[in-house]
Amino acid sequence: MYAALLSNRYLTSRVIPLIAVGAVALCVALVIIVVSVMSGFLDMLKASGRTLIGDVIVSGGVGGIPHYDEWLADLRALPEVEEATPVIDTLGLLRMPYPSGPSKEIAPVQVWAIEPASFARVTAYGDKVWWRPPANEAARDAMLHDDPRLLMDDSMLRDGLTLKQGATGKPGIVLGMHVSVGNARQSDGSYRPRFGWFMPGEEVTLTVVPVSETGKISEPRDATFPIVNEVFSGVYDVDKSRVFISLDQAQHLLRLDAAPLYDTTAEPDAEGNLPLLGTTPARVTKVLIRAKPGVPALAARDAVEASWDAFVAKASRRTDRLGRPPERVSILTWEQQLRDLIGPVEKEREMMRILFSIIYIVCAGLILSIFWSIVIEKTRDIGILRSVGASRLGILWIFLRYGLAIGVVGSLAGVGIAWVVVDNINLIHEAIGRDAPRAAWITTCAMSGMSVLMAVRALVWRGRLLPGLLWTIAAVTLGIVTLALVGHRGTLIWDPSVYYFSRIPSQVDWFNAAITVAGGIVFSVIGAAIPAAKAADVDPVEALRYG
Amino acid sequence: MAEVAPILAARDVHRTYRFGQVEVPVLRGASISIAPGEWVAILGQSGSGKSTLMHLLGGLDRPDPGRGTIDFDGRAVNLGAGRSLDRYRNRDVGFVFQFYHLLPELSVLENACLPGLVGGWFGGARANAARRRAAELLDQAGLSHRLRHRPAELSGGERQRVAIARALVNGPRVLLADEPTGNLDATTGASILDLIAAQHAQGLTVAMVTHDTSVAARAQRVVRLRDGQVVED
Repeated sequence: MYAALLSNRYLTSRVIPLIAVGAVALCVALVIIVVSVMSGFLDMLKASGRTLIGDVIVSGGVGGIPHYDEWLADLRALPEVEEATPVIDTLGLLRMPYPSGPSKEIAPVQVWAIEPASFARVTAYGDKVWWRPPANEAARDAMLHDDPRLLMDDSMLRDGLTLKQGATGKPGIVLGMHVSVGNARQSDGSYRPRFGWFMPGEEVTLTVVPVSETGKISEPRDATFPIVNEVFSGVYDVDKSRVFISLDQAQHLLRLDAAPLYDTTAEPDAEGNLPLLGTTPARVTKVLIRAKPGVPALAARDAVEASWDAFVAKASRRTDRLGRPPERVSILTWEQQLRDLIGPVEKEREMMRILFSIIYIVCAGLILSIFWSIVIEKTRDIGILRSVGASRLGILWIFLRYGLAIGVVGSLAGVGIAWVVVDNINLIHEAIGRDAPRAAWITTCAMSGMSVLMAVRALVWRGRLLPGLLWTIAAVTLGIVTLALVGHRGTLIWDPSVYYFSRIPSQVDWFNAAITVAGGIVFSVIGAAIPAAKAADVDPVEALRYG
Repeated sequence: MAEVAPILAARDVHRTYRFGQVEVPVLRGASISIAPGEWVAILGQSGSGKSTLMHLLGGLDRPDPGRGTIDFDGRAVNLGAGRSLDRYRNRDVGFVFQFYHLLPELSVLENACLPGLVGGWFGGARANAARRRAAELLDQAGLSHRLRHRPAELSGGERQRVAIARALVNGPRVLLADEPTGNLDATTGASILDLIAAQHAQGLTVAMVTHDTSVAARAQRVVRLRDGQVVED
């Protein structure tokens, strides 16, 4: 009872515990912010990986996967598989429509040739197509105000989803949002055309290099496509380099389509034709698979692997046709596929957690030193309490409880600070990225001037050194802040080309926050324990005589 | 007339303090016996060991091992465990010090009921009873209008009254006062002694340390201490 009374009084009647509370709050907030951003980054990485590539990825190498239609039918019949889609993944060069004049910019791109309908069922492609009609009247007015070209009807979304220009019937191309320099990201996350370049409707030329089944490189081939839409995945690397065309177009360009095969070693017949050996089947380089809801990716992968083995065995028994599937293909879950990316980030997060947890030791040390001075100051009080019957454990408990209160209040305040910062981290980042507003540095300059006056008043008129020193420190600090604000010209901290994503993760990792709060409380109590034990050991007679 | 059994007694107690290699014997076989309801003044010069004897009688300190006992109501309190000494200080005796020794963060009422809050295994009922008793004692001491004030807002005499109320809040059988008027002017000191006298008149046993013969004169019996030994009783 008296322990609670005294702990509360010590906490509320003094300034120095507030410093300890502030230290704990800052330590906890720092750890939560760092770990939340790292965890959010990791979650975004995983989520984006899965939404862009499905649950299981089968890669067939340069030779590709022949008779893939048969295998897709097998896969779709599996109870673990929701949908499967064929993809050709290759590199290309894109001749952009800008700048004006005959010389155009060339962008290296990663070409994904897809079957749009099944691809949209395996990935979130349908949700990622960017240009679409306004959702409501307000959005429509805003678009009309910004750029009339942004006001579009359903046809552009439909063209993006089908990879075909509806008006002309031409096969189209969809670009990643950052492939073109014409798209400028706004602070609200929307995009507006820049330099007058609005991509949909423009034409680009795609150049690719066919590679034979044996790995032999042929002459580059190109084709011109109208841009029918753009896609925003949120993963900067993907948006910067990926373009989508239809599978049949890519098969044709890359010579991966079905074609007659002639025996070039035989003599031509009377009409000059070589003997026909058969038809080489169309091929794809990848198959992406979406697992049924509730089926773990690993279980789906095992089922796909068994299906592949059965498909290879079945195909090897067929001697009546050309094209044998490769014995070995890479079959990975989305997590395994992104292991090189996710693994280091996970390790980095753990490393950050460990490094930042060292702050707890600093925090415990700070509480220890503050409490040590409090115990020395309160030696006489300890003697008084012992004289009225307080036990040594009772004295110990007063200071442990005091440390516990500081830990709990500080940690909860830290969670509050972290929540506000993480929730607004993109706003803060954007503010740092801009020039400091004039009002900000005028305010700090005025405050600095006021502090100078207060310092002069304290030192000269009242002859008080401590308030004079505190006001001087405030004046100097605010002066430095003013200079920093005046000189601030915007700093880009979160560079999407380095961190993959255009937005900083802004969700508090509540599980880790709970662990951090527990750590803050435990280390506060540990910091308080040593002075508390010293307090318990105080000799009451000496405390009353000399305290 | 049969001799009354003492409520509190020190029997041949020795207490030596060590300062590094130097040993300073403060008490050298001091004995004192206090009967129930008696008011005893322990008189002596500075350094005679009277405060040390008071601390031993009150269970704040123990005699040198094997060299004397402190008996309370026929039981050697100094031989018990630390917890029993804590309980002894909390329930059986009450201390009043020269420099009042009030806790500055607590109000007058909170200071006075502090012993009632210690050892609070009895929960709220014990704390409430302590609060009622403290308010009663402070009222008797003329401080009912000062209950919410802090010690820094009181005069020396008022602080000592609060200290007396605190010493009595758990209803101890013995009041141990160490120079209770030593920091007060003569008039205020007299009023404090009146307050102690009033409690003594209700049956409280009082042991009071002083170096002032006029203060000692208020007691029923005077014990003189010199160089750590009782020289006159």
